[in-house]
Amino acid sequence: MRKRNKLKIHSGLAITLAILMSFIGISGVFVTAASEDGGTRVPVYKNLEELSGKRVGVQVGSVFDKIVEEAIPGASVEYYSTFPDEINALKASKLEGVACVESVIIQLQAQDDSIAYIEEPIGAVPLGFLFPKNEKGKKLADQMSEFLTNMRESGEMDRLMAVWNETDESLKPIEDYKSLPAENGTLTFVTEGTFPPFDYFREGELVGYDVDVAIRFCKEYGYGIELKDMNFDALMPAVQSGKCDFAASGIAITEERKEKVYFSEPDYYQDAYVVVLAADRSGGSFISSLKDSFNRTFIKEHRYRLFLKGIWVTLAITVMSIIFGTLLGFILYMWCRKGGKPANAITRFCIWLVQGMPAIVLLMILYYVVFGKADIGGIGVAVIGFTMTFAASVYSMILSGVRAVDFGQTEASYALGFNDTQTFFGIILPQAARHFMPTFKAEIVTLIKATAVVGYIAVQDLTKMGDIVRSSTYEAFFPLIAVAVMYFVLAGLLKLVANKLTASVDPEKRSEEKILKGIKTK
Amino acid sequence: MIEFRHMQKAFGTSVVLKDINATVNEGDSIAVIGPSGTGKSTLLRCLTYLDPPTGGQIFVDGEDITAPGCNIYKVRQKMGMVFQSYNLFGHMTVIENIMYAPVKLLGMSRQDAYDRGVELLKKVGLADRTLKYPEALSGGQKQRVAIARTLAMDPEIILFDEPTSALDPTMTGEVEAVIEDLARAGKTMMIVTHEMNLAKRVANRVFYMDEGIIYEDGPADQIFNDPQREKTSRFVRKLKVLEFNIDSHGFDFVGASTEIDRYCFKNHIPLKTSNKIRSVIEELCVQILLPVVKDPGINVCVEYSEEEEYTIITVKYPDRFRPEDSGDSGEDLSYRLLKANTESIDYSYDEAEGSTIVMKLR
Repeated sequence: MRKRNKLKIHSGLAITLAILMSFIGISGVFVTAASEDGGTRVPVYKNLEELSGKRVGVQVGSVFDKIVEEAIPGASVEYYSTFPDEINALKASKLEGVACVESVIIQLQAQDDSIAYIEEPIGAVPLGFLFPKNEKGKKLADQMSEFLTNMRESGEMDRLMAVWNETDESLKPIEDYKSLPAENGTLTFVTEGTFPPFDYFREGELVGYDVDVAIRFCKEYGYGIELKDMNFDALMPAVQSGKCDFAASGIAITEERKEKVYFSEPDYYQDAYVVVLAADRSGGSFISSLKDSFNRTFIKEHRYRLFLKGIWVTLAITVMSIIFGTLLGFILYMWCRKGGKPANAITRFCIWLVQGMPAIVLLMILYYVVFGKADIGGIGVAVIGFTMTFAASVYSMILSGVRAVDFGQTEASYALGFNDTQTFFGIILPQAARHFMPTFKAEIVTLIKATAVVGYIAVQDLTKMGDIVRSSTYEAFFPLIAVAVMYFVLAGLLKLVANKLTASVDPEKRSEEKILKGIKTK
Repeated sequence: MIEFRHMQKAFGTSVVLKDINATVNEGDSIAVIGPSGTGKSTLLRCLTYLDPPTGGQIFVDGEDITAPGCNIYKVRQKMGMVFQSYNLFGHMTVIENIMYAPVKLLGMSRQDAYDRGVELLKKVGLADRTLKYPEALSGGQKQRVAIARTLAMDPEIILFDEPTSALDPTMTGEVEAVIEDLARAGKTMMIVTHEMNLAKRVANRVFYMDEGIIYEDGPADQIFNDPQREKTSRFVRKLKVLEFNIDSHGFDFVGASTEIDRYCFKNHIPLKTSNKIRSVIEELCVQILLPVVKDPGINVCVEYSEEEEYTIITVKYPDRFRPEDSGDSGEDLSYRLLKANTESIDYSYDEAEGSTIVMKLR
């Protein structure tokens, strides 16, 4: 039995490796090292008309879709959730162009010499800070507008933008925001950290032009600041629900958005362009690009630390949800067992509710609606959400497991003189466990994968960390495969623990000595 | 020891037990017999409160167990129950199945419970199976373990609910032997059974149940040899046994013969007789009737009386047709075969019932 298991693990690893190698092979074609010169490159498409009938990527929640439709009639707009995804799609020939602002293109070109852009701008985008539509938000928005106007008039704004447009990271210092005096309280600032140079991670810390301005503002007006990273499409709900005090992530100021949040004065006007592939891009050799990918993904800026942190968060959420979910599911079952019709109806309704919606929707509802005003962090909400989903599965598991035990077992136990509780715990549950344990183990693996959506509620788990790294490297395959392998290993480990646990409680796996403990058999 | 007073049991609107009155004394070994569906098993299940009675009273050692506030769990410890489907605890070894209740409920030490368990297993002939799991045992072995499990609680009375019905005929013997041992040792017990042999071997008293009551209650000798009431007499003498319908021209006679063989084997019908039964049914139904009847709806009923060693086969069908009227020579041969194998053939026709042929075999 044990031998067969080992064999399974080995063949599983072999398959994983084979998939991994083939992916890296594909990625090798697209991954190219950053060029030193950074001079103007010749784009594949010279002017905007050529893009008519072609696919142009825009970020979900940005204003680029409208700009593209106006500037390039006939282009089909495709939506992506992060900017790095758009660039990867461009490189994988799934898109012909990507709309973005000037500063982003400067950073991108420094990283990747296969990228060029059409020099005709498609429009100008005013970017601003968002504030919740309440009294405090109004006050902060006014203060920020005042601050930004002063900055623009003094020329400080242009100087700062020039600093962040540099391609050498060592020239972009950021102030120590953690020791701000905060005499007027601490503000929470959220952004999406996959958008250099406005908002991105460097050495595991959020930095960027927006972040810099936010810190300077807080310093000026006597606030402390707390930085939070969140998925782009979660930013608006986070501001609206008051989960944060202000936000920015290259978010354009629009009339529609003004109805829901307060905007500051623009913190910068940026021209938007369409990024396309360079005509004369070169491909690196397989081994060197692999080494390069590894370096950029793990070694540069100690990015492996991001992965470690992500693994820790993913594991913590999963393990806590399993423990609490199992307890809650069990308590629910016991309650329904004795509770009669109302208890069963209530429970069935709750389970129907929890199981009927995608985990991401449940998490967002919990984070922004249920706990919108409560002071519970993303990890807490994630644990609550996944505890609910896991409890629902555990409840259903126990229910079907108990049903699978022949009713004769109950009758035999009653006939011997055991009461209901003794019968349930001594006779029924141990046998039901044998039925539901395989499902339980499978649910654990499902759960660890399901936690990958917690990025939406400002939790930096393994998947989110992979996104963050991808946003710096503009590379899809290597970080994705790395994340996949890590999930495999984590799921494998959890399964191993679950196997050990179930084996230790499986009555049929006991040794003779254990069965006859404390008995002399003569 | 146990007294039923006007006990009733209904499932929804269907009343299974109308009015049960009886007293069980120490040392009684009662066989509960009667046709199917007359509430024999229900009687035991009411007594153990697995199916609470819907009326009347049951007294166990003077205590009214139907009274509110009665600790039924304590009462159940005085009564052992052996089920048709064994119901051994699947997650426990044989010895644990036996030790579990005495240790948990009687506070017996594990060592004492083990020693007693081994002793009981020796008694039922399974001392070498202590550490096996139930799934590794045959049906007969499982039932013997179940009996040992019941005995481990040292009950005042043991209730057997059709203990051999789920068993292969080859395995009933080993279980019957164990039950017979218990009876001989003077253990108080009630056995619900369809096996008249078992009833005769172990019972000193018989409840014949019919019409929702204990229709006749008497010493075993009397009930089996000289029953006082008509229905009891019919039941004890005859065993209405096998009934099937031939409802299409493409009837599966091979399947039916297997069914007949199985029935004969189970009821210890001599091979010669069973061959006759099969031949008679085949000649009459397949060779003579099936080709001539328009709309096959032939009902065949075989009754075998062990007592008087005769078999009665009744065949009913809607068409008005005498078997001896079969015209051509082929069927004529069939009819002669039929005559040779039977003692008598009686034909009757009735507008409402159709044709009925009653054949007697010896």
